[in-house]
Amino acid sequence: MLNVIVYGLAIGAVYAATALVYNVMYSTSKVLSVSTGHISMLGGIFGAYFLAQLKLPLIIGLLGAIAVGAAFNYLTELIAVRRVLARSDEHLWLLSTLAVATMISQIMALWWGTEPKPFPRLFPQGFSQGIADQKYWLPIGATIIGAVGLEIFYRRTMYGKLFIATSEDAFAARARGINTDRIRALSYVLSGALGGLAGFAAGQLTFAYFALGFALTLNGFIAIAVGGLGSNLGAVIGGIALGMMSSFATYFFGGEYQQTVAIGVLILVLIVKPEGLFGSKQVRPV
Amino acid sequence: MTEHSRGARIATLVMGAVFLVALPFIVRDQYQLHLAQLIGVYWILIAGLNLVIGYSGQLSVGHVGLLAVGAYGFAIIAGKYDFPPLLALIACGALGGLCGFLLGLPSLRLPGFYFAMVTLAFAVIVTEQSVAQTDLTGGGVGLPVPGFAAPFDSPEGFYWLILAVAAAITWLTWNIARLMWGRALIGVRDSEVAARSVGISVYRVKLIVFVFSGVTAGIAGGLFASLQSYITPDTFIFELGLFFFTCIIIGGRGSIFGPFVGTVILTAIPEVVAPLAKLGNFFYGFLLLVVVLLTPEGFGRLFQQALARFNPKVAESTVVAPDPALLRKALQRAED
Repeated sequence: MLNVIVYGLAIGAVYAATALVYNVMYSTSKVLSVSTGHISMLGGIFGAYFLAQLKLPLIIGLLGAIAVGAAFNYLTELIAVRRVLARSDEHLWLLSTLAVATMISQIMALWWGTEPKPFPRLFPQGFSQGIADQKYWLPIGATIIGAVGLEIFYRRTMYGKLFIATSEDAFAARARGINTDRIRALSYVLSGALGGLAGFAAGQLTFAYFALGFALTLNGFIAIAVGGLGSNLGAVIGGIALGMMSSFATYFFGGEYQQTVAIGVLILVLIVKPEGLFGSKQVRPV
Repeated sequence: MTEHSRGARIATLVMGAVFLVALPFIVRDQYQLHLAQLIGVYWILIAGLNLVIGYSGQLSVGHVGLLAVGAYGFAIIAGKYDFPPLLALIACGALGGLCGFLLGLPSLRLPGFYFAMVTLAFAVIVTEQSVAQTDLTGGGVGLPVPGFAAPFDSPEGFYWLILAVAAAITWLTWNIARLMWGRALIGVRDSEVAARSVGISVYRVKLIVFVFSGVTAGIAGGLFASLQSYITPDTFIFELGLFFFTCIIIGGRGSIFGPFVGTVILTAIPEVVAPLAKLGNFFYGFLLLVVVLLTPEGFGRLFQQALARFNPKVAESTVVAPDPALLRKALQRAED
């Protein structure tokens, strides 16, 4: 039973990290990118590539995975978000990020292969550790570091305040002399780094697998819809709750019902409380 | 519209219809006929989906789930319980419509991205359950699917059946798009607030169109299953849903002919140009990105613009003159 809880916490931490990535991007650009889960997928695949195939040292592999995530997300902003936002059609960013997500999935499937490949051990440890296994605690640790780091960044640094100003009211921020385009690009780089870190840390749990991208996009979205869009606390709580839920669903009903239960929760929350548990109420446009 | 261009349009339509009916005698081998059948089946789904995506602007990426429901429904009703296939096909349409209704009921209230994600989630659920419910769907092993009875048992006969269904559904969607319904849908797509303010029941319009697209997806699923003759959960991958979606966006939103051309070209190209088949989804994603960045209206609009340039419309002069009789009447009424 303890095993089920720890597994739920660990997979929930991965969902929570994806939800945080959604939040950071949403705050500055008001875009929910379909390619969000793919950042962590890239972090996992490139982590495995750097460590297992190129035999690079751990720290280089970690930094490399983070850099790949940040670079991919920066490119997403450059190609799929910036030009589309200038045109201000509500649906277009959905299409363009979906296109980017599909392309990167297919590239990874062709280059890395369509089978999930194992991720190397980061620290020397036996395989019969039960719940003390690093594959559970690394993603939890990474998500805690990410969430706390984001909170400190938003509260204590100048750039964090610029992020908040841009997310509150981009026009007002621009009038005060903030280069909102640059802030948006920076937020994508930051969230890409966070996604890369999460994917790297979760590599042993999820394996380096190209189809992880869409799964994380969907589950991270469920976490954020349950927790409330725009709230980092909500993202973490939503992610953990979702992870627990799917872990227990697997335990009681078997693995075939994992997604069905998660999506049932999503639809229930959206009907009862459409803004999520910690989200701010949206005003109906009239 | 002048008489001349209407005549030309009808002539083109008749020629196109004759070509489509005579296609089995024109193609060189069975494979090309199979391709034509596949295009027809895809088009049945896309014609319905086009009303949802192209006209009312609801970006559903999960119609592959409804296709799977129809396909499994057909395999079970016609295969396991030995119902007549044509009856089973109608049942599939009803089943697809029911699933569309159940899916649309909660999800159509949600804004864009949320809706897309819920439909994606629906497709995931369908795939998961088609693996899980081993008794019903055969699990990962899959199910054999029966063919249709005579006269639809030959490839040509089956092609004509698909053609008839596709024509009927195209006619239905054309009627919806052309009349007040279509105007309401476009209003919903372009501005929900404006649509609501002129008295369109936004949610109801969206739901009805979504249920219709569910019916077409169910019918397409039945035909698709029969065409494939064996279905497994792997047949209905998420990428197939993306393919439907791309066909419509590339062809152009708010038109029927554009998505049709998109369907034909996108289905045929990977079969004709072999290297593209390997790239598969990358190619679709790339096309989608190019269209979104360069011509968000789709290639169909580009084609129209090119046509308009070569064949410029002569501006008719209309004189705006007061109508004294009508004016007097109106004044009279105002005085009373």
